[in-house]
Amino acid sequence: MSQSAVAAERRLQQGMLDAYTATRRFLIRGKRQPDVIFGSLLTPVIFVVLFGYVFGSSIVVPGGNYRSYLMPGLFAMSVLFSAANVAVAVATDMSEGVVDRFRTLPIARSAIIIGRSLSTLILGIPVLVVMIVCGLAVGWRADQGLANAILAFLLFELFAVAIGWLGILVGLLAGSAQAADVIINIPIFLMGFISSVFVDPSMMPVWLREIAYWNPMSALVTAGRQLFGNTIGPPPSGVWSLEHPIATTFGLALVIIIVVAPICVRLYSHSTR
Amino acid sequence: MSDPAISAHNLARSFGSTKALVDVSLDVAAGSVCALLGRNGAGKTTTVRILTTLLPADGGRAQVAGFDVDSQAALVRTRIGVTGQTATMDELLTGAENLETIGRFCHLGAATSRRRARELLEQFDLVAAGKQLVKRYSGGMRRRLDLAASLIHEPEVLFLDEPTTGLDPVGRAEMWTSIRSLVSAGTTVLLTTQYLDEADRLADTIVVIDRGLVVAEGTPEQLKASIGRPFIRVTLPEADAAALERVGRLLGAEAEVSGRSVSAPAPDGLATLGDVVAQLGRLGVPVHEVGLEYPSLDEVFSTVTAHAGSSPRSAAAAEGVA
Ligand SMILES: Nc1ncnc2c1ncn2[C@@H]1O[C@H](COP(=O)(O)OP(=O)(O)O)[C@@H](O)[C@H]1O
Ligand SMILES: [Mg+2]
Repeated sequence: MSQSAVAAERRLQQGMLDAYTATRRFLIRGKRQPDVIFGSLLTPVIFVVLFGYVFGSSIVVPGGNYRSYLMPGLFAMSVLFSAANVAVAVATDMSEGVVDRFRTLPIARSAIIIGRSLSTLILGIPVLVVMIVCGLAVGWRADQGLANAILAFLLFELFAVAIGWLGILVGLLAGSAQAADVIINIPIFLMGFISSVFVDPSMMPVWLREIAYWNPMSALVTAGRQLFGNTIGPPPSGVWSLEHPIATTFGLALVIIIVVAPICVRLYSHSTR
Repeated sequence: MSDPAISAHNLARSFGSTKALVDVSLDVAAGSVCALLGRNGAGKTTTVRILTTLLPADGGRAQVAGFDVDSQAALVRTRIGVTGQTATMDELLTGAENLETIGRFCHLGAATSRRRARELLEQFDLVAAGKQLVKRYSGGMRRRLDLAASLIHEPEVLFLDEPTTGLDPVGRAEMWTSIRSLVSAGTTVLLTTQYLDEADRLADTIVVIDRGLVVAEGTPEQLKASIGRPFIRVTLPEADAAALERVGRLLGAEAEVSGRSVSAPAPDGLATLGDVVAQLGRLGVPVHEVGLEYPSLDEVFSTVTAHAGSSPRSAAAAEGVA
């Protein structure tokens, strides 16, 4: 092996080690914030009750059980909420002195930010478990077999990583935690509600319905509903993203990660307080 | 002498219309302590941030531990330790976890990081605190932990930005002791301070900066010698106006009377002192005390910074005349 190849391999190894150290640090921090843990575990329970029973009692989905229809939507919503949390957390990190400490250490430029992404993914797993338990308790079932269910959850997690990178981007660009909070929550609410996450868009006014159909969140929940076997009715014709929801979600997530992650790494390593 | 551990040439940096650094050059010999002395806003932190690869300079160049801070930043980072002006420890981690994380980031490996963390906690008297979350630390403990973190990989060159600002006298004395012990271990230190006594106590060389310019530099003694001439002071047993006047005439035109003593510049130091003592004997005035006084660094500091502050104005005035 040539000398430069050895050096490159060594750099890659150190980079992975640095990312591991960063992830470990964020996980220890996560563990020390019981209020945040409690909040993120409680939110999905509240959503199941609120939408499953309070609103759900008067929401009609063609031919189906609303709570079955709802659960994939709630999995998708938790993806969005975790992106909002990560945006605020990154903006907070950037305002603290510890950023300067990291930037004078001989670590890979991408390590801290990758650690942030990975730790968000890991800390999201207990939330997902709580949601699955809630879903099973209110009658939701995955009828397409374990393999499809696992595939569905992998798809949700992949999408969570992608949206998480968008959250990191917002956190890096926002000047403060408060700004990040406001900036990220507006698109999140629009993306969450103008979609088939909570309701069937076919009853919406035409212009809104088209937006809702093409919204990537609709593709994500449709993919979930298909893989869990919660689908209600055939997809609206002419909407490619809903006719091929799995491919759409998978492709879009990859594109977002490939484009946004390097931008975030660059922004992070060139930022000055 | 070996190559300097830090050498900066004509560093310049602006933030919008604020010229934080206009022209700063400095050399710090390996194994020595240099104090960058200046008032608030003089450009100390900006200089440190450039030398520690945190901030690019607009102009000039700098080498630290033999590497260029701009083009070889990654190599510089393996050789330096930095304790910034603001705390950089993670509040939600314990002292030990903080140190261990930094050790891992310095590629010491898990076991060595743990061992170094333990050693440093001992060295900085933080053994009990090591198991506590940093958010429960006092200001002095935080500073010591920050300093410990900058030492985990035994750096060649250490940067300390205002290491004692905001500490109480006890905390400051502890910090001084810690810094001195590092220096005796051979580390090169660049520290910034607003306090002259601190620079005088800790540093081998002092660089005084004001408004982004170096206005004086040298050893503490050189600074005193170049800017402050010694004074001779004659103190009488009582404030006798006639006697004070006669002594004043003896000391020359620049003599100043205050209370029961007269003082005047003594350009030739001890020689002047000898002359004056002999003449005082001939004068027959009763004398309580005669001695030479050197200006304090405080006086040096106000002289050089006041000078730098007034020079642009006098330059403008000269132009106006021409
Ligand atoms: N990031 C920044 N943005 C704008 N102005 C800055 C920034 N950093 C420093 N300055 C300005 O540059 C000057 C020098 O600052 P600094 O180097 O922090 O001084 P010191 O550390 O000696 O107190 C000050 O006028 C300060 O306001
Ligand atoms: Mg400063």
